[in-house]
Amino acid sequence: MRILSIACSLAALIAASPLAAQTLNVATAGDQNMVDYVKDYLGPMFEKSHPGVKVVSVGTGPGDAGSQKIYEKLDAQKAGNATDFDVVVIHQKAAGTMVKEGLLAKYTDKVETAKMVSSEAAKNSLGSDVSGFVIPMFQSQTALAYNADLLKTPPNTFAELKDWVAKNPKQFGYNGIKGGMSGVAFVTGWVYAFGGDADKLIKGPYDPAVKAGWDKALGELKDFNKNVVITPGNAGTLDMLNRGEIAMGPVWVDMFYSWQADGKLPPNMKLKLAAPGMPGQPMYYAVPDKTANRKLAEEFIALATSPQVQADGIVKKFNWYPGIDAKNLEGKLDQAAWNKLFTDITPADLSAKAKSFPIAPYFNDILESYEKKVAN
Amino acid sequence: MSHVVSWLRAALAGLLLAGFAFVLIGPLANLALWSVAERWYTPYKLPVTYGTRYWEQVFRPTGDAMASLGTSVWIAVLTVVVALALSVPAGYALARLKLPMRALFMIVFLLPQAFPSVAIYINVARIFYNLGINGTVLGVVLVHAAHGLVYSVWIAAAAFAAVDKDLELAARNIGASGLRTFFTVTLPLAAPGIIASGIFVFLESLDEFTGTFFVGVPQVTTLPLLLYNAAQGGNYQVASITALILLVPSVLFMLFIERFLRADVLAKVGA
Amino acid sequence: MPDRFRHGSRIVVAAPICRGMTPDHAEKRPNMSLSQRQLALLLIAPGLALVGALFLYPLCFSLISAFTGPGGGFSLQAFAKAYELYSGDILFTILIVVTSCALTALAAIAIAGTLTLGESRWVVGTLKALYRWPLFIPFIVAAQCMRTFLAKNGLMNNTFVSMGLMEPLQAMSFLDWRGIIITFVWKQTPFVALLLAGALASIDRATLEAGRNLGASRLRVLIELALPQVMPTLLVALVLSFVTMLSVLSVPMMVAGSQPTMLTVDMAFRINAYGDYATANALGVITYLISAGAAIIYLRHGMAKENAP
Repeated sequence: MRILSIACSLAALIAASPLAAQTLNVATAGDQNMVDYVKDYLGPMFEKSHPGVKVVSVGTGPGDAGSQKIYEKLDAQKAGNATDFDVVVIHQKAAGTMVKEGLLAKYTDKVETAKMVSSEAAKNSLGSDVSGFVIPMFQSQTALAYNADLLKTPPNTFAELKDWVAKNPKQFGYNGIKGGMSGVAFVTGWVYAFGGDADKLIKGPYDPAVKAGWDKALGELKDFNKNVVITPGNAGTLDMLNRGEIAMGPVWVDMFYSWQADGKLPPNMKLKLAAPGMPGQPMYYAVPDKTANRKLAEEFIALATSPQVQADGIVKKFNWYPGIDAKNLEGKLDQAAWNKLFTDITPADLSAKAKSFPIAPYFNDILESYEKKVAN
Repeated sequence: MSHVVSWLRAALAGLLLAGFAFVLIGPLANLALWSVAERWYTPYKLPVTYGTRYWEQVFRPTGDAMASLGTSVWIAVLTVVVALALSVPAGYALARLKLPMRALFMIVFLLPQAFPSVAIYINVARIFYNLGINGTVLGVVLVHAAHGLVYSVWIAAAAFAAVDKDLELAARNIGASGLRTFFTVTLPLAAPGIIASGIFVFLESLDEFTGTFFVGVPQVTTLPLLLYNAAQGGNYQVASITALILLVPSVLFMLFIERFLRADVLAKVGA
Repeated sequence: MPDRFRHGSRIVVAAPICRGMTPDHAEKRPNMSLSQRQLALLLIAPGLALVGALFLYPLCFSLISAFTGPGGGFSLQAFAKAYELYSGDILFTILIVVTSCALTALAAIAIAGTLTLGESRWVVGTLKALYRWPLFIPFIVAAQCMRTFLAKNGLMNNTFVSMGLMEPLQAMSFLDWRGIIITFVWKQTPFVALLLAGALASIDRATLEAGRNLGASRLRVLIELALPQVMPTLLVALVLSFVTMLSVLSVPMMVAGSQPTMLTVDMAFRINAYGDYATANALGVITYLISAGAAIIYLRHGMAKENAP
């Protein structure tokens, strides 16, 4: 019996160290739909053009937590000579950290499609210089989702929202700052609206004294919180909208559309970007410095950021804003699919009210001040 | 009169049981309902349309739900083997032999259950990378075994403690060696409890997520990984289906555990 | 064989309080005593080694990180920060876990008591078939079930409204501290009840019968005669539940909003949002101190037994 079991574990050991011809490991910090996007769509496409290569797609969970896991994994392998992951899909905050700690490779000069990206986000990630290390996979945006049956005229500004919530207690919900980025985005939007100069927070330079100026705004947020529902996570907000428990709440635009497509939101839900605006962020494709399959990784990203894939996969399938400049998608996409992106939030809204998250030190100050002044 | 009272009693008991059943089964029924809900939103109290779309999605050719389930079960089986190989001698020592600071040793096995695990697993991953066993089934099995050891050791110790010492003495008296007595008398008598402890370890391993991620991914992926992503991302249908798949072994064991976990063993767990 | 087993074990188990009376191996063969101790250590060593290598050793890194200041060197700064930001959550965590344990204990006693002392066969049978269902359900599945079940317009309230037990306007959401407690109790009660029912089944029925014959109600027999005998088992099951609840992340994360929340969520947030392992580890140490409270109760009980005559 004992011998049999030892034999079994040995067999397992052998089975677990694959002799694979070539495997490209893609780790995605994101919701299941992003993991499946690589698994079902990009992976097979890449395998077709690269016979003998197998693409393995792994999800590490949504939000910054997912990116942090990728970071921890790469960091744990710092001393080794090859990493487990060949391509990583990560958030802005982690991208800055990973570049600073030398965990990522400078690769975009090898990838033709990098020239199609002119956005600031490809160079600057929350104040860290990441140019050369990342190409955006897509850009996403937060906005207020609301039930158009219950609410004919949604608030245009954060100030109007404040009044609306005072008149309609427990009809607005968000997930605080620990349950996911849509809540963080709302708090950031609040600070942009009531805490002074948003541009200074987004562009820097960092001044530790600035956070003292948010006291009033955060005090008001604490009062505001008395009349709102704190939901469990990004999904929790959408879930409560789904069941009609709240009439309004901040959500990620892409999640909103996929929930609606999955039949988990009433068809009459709409989006609104209230002034002065709320933040959005891109997801980045990056290549770990110590990957053993650098060339394959670059070719994979080149495919993933090609205009056709961005048009079919990113825009049409998932309602994400494309990672490369929109003009490159012309002719690759029918007008209807393109227009759907802008049903509720017009391009004019986006250019005026779609903000970045603040640079990392301010970002941390906002979160920690919230923990101190609002939550505890 | 006494008729009415006993009738009332029965009705009350029935009512309480029905409430109890609702509390227990309701959440699970909810899960099953979500797994076949294609559209479900306010103000509808039940799904608007039903269908198997998400089942097809989970079991699609490029999906690896079944492969992950296979890996999960395989890892769980190996974890049980490792845990039992360690806990049978340890349990015997704790139950039968004079051990200094016995309670303290018992607590050591409890430790891995008690500490929130993320911080620990990052460090374990570092150690495993140095040893070259990260990303192997062996690594994941070791991590799961360390985590499940409290159940197997505590229950194994209870199982040994419940074996009648007189029977062992009788065997010794007719000339059997200590080792022989152990294998022919003690172990067979303790077997049901040990099997039960294995079931706990099996299920503990089947649910484990964090350790698997740090030590196994991307070479080794298990079903809870998929469940975790789907649940965190709010993909209720996929999460519910994955959860239902994971429930199959759990429910099977639940039905059978009674056979193995006898009252006299249960009475001694952790004691 | 099974018959002998049952018979034999009943003698040993009959009354756990009499355990000290069982003749001790070592006393019969004093010359074995030393080698037996060595043998015991030898047998337990592999298990301890695994826990040591995969838990205690990595734990040291966490402890070091918790006690190291930003400039290196010993510092309690991480603990100061943990206290400043999360004092409310520390209290919240303790309250949640203690309340959950208390309710779990009550529910488990009710179930196990009914199983042991119940006189109606169909009640006992139905209960027996029902109560174990959540036993092996992973926490994350439990959380997933509960967050759509307990919501304001979730399946539970909807059922009540449909049955006419409640007006739609009375419906309220349980997705806060109550949700966490309900999920914990739902998940842990079968485990505690299973162990407790086992213990109750193996105590001497004659005392209980005698109590009944003297006219004591079943409730009194349960509380005054049966429970004191199975206290150790209840304690052990609760200690296991206590530490498990303390270290679960998915339930507080998925079932309740984040203000206030449990320490596991704060730990994860500290790491994910700030990459701040020091404070996260300090929170881990605080969690450990809370579990230590439970461990001490266990140790006391263990020591008392070891020192028993």
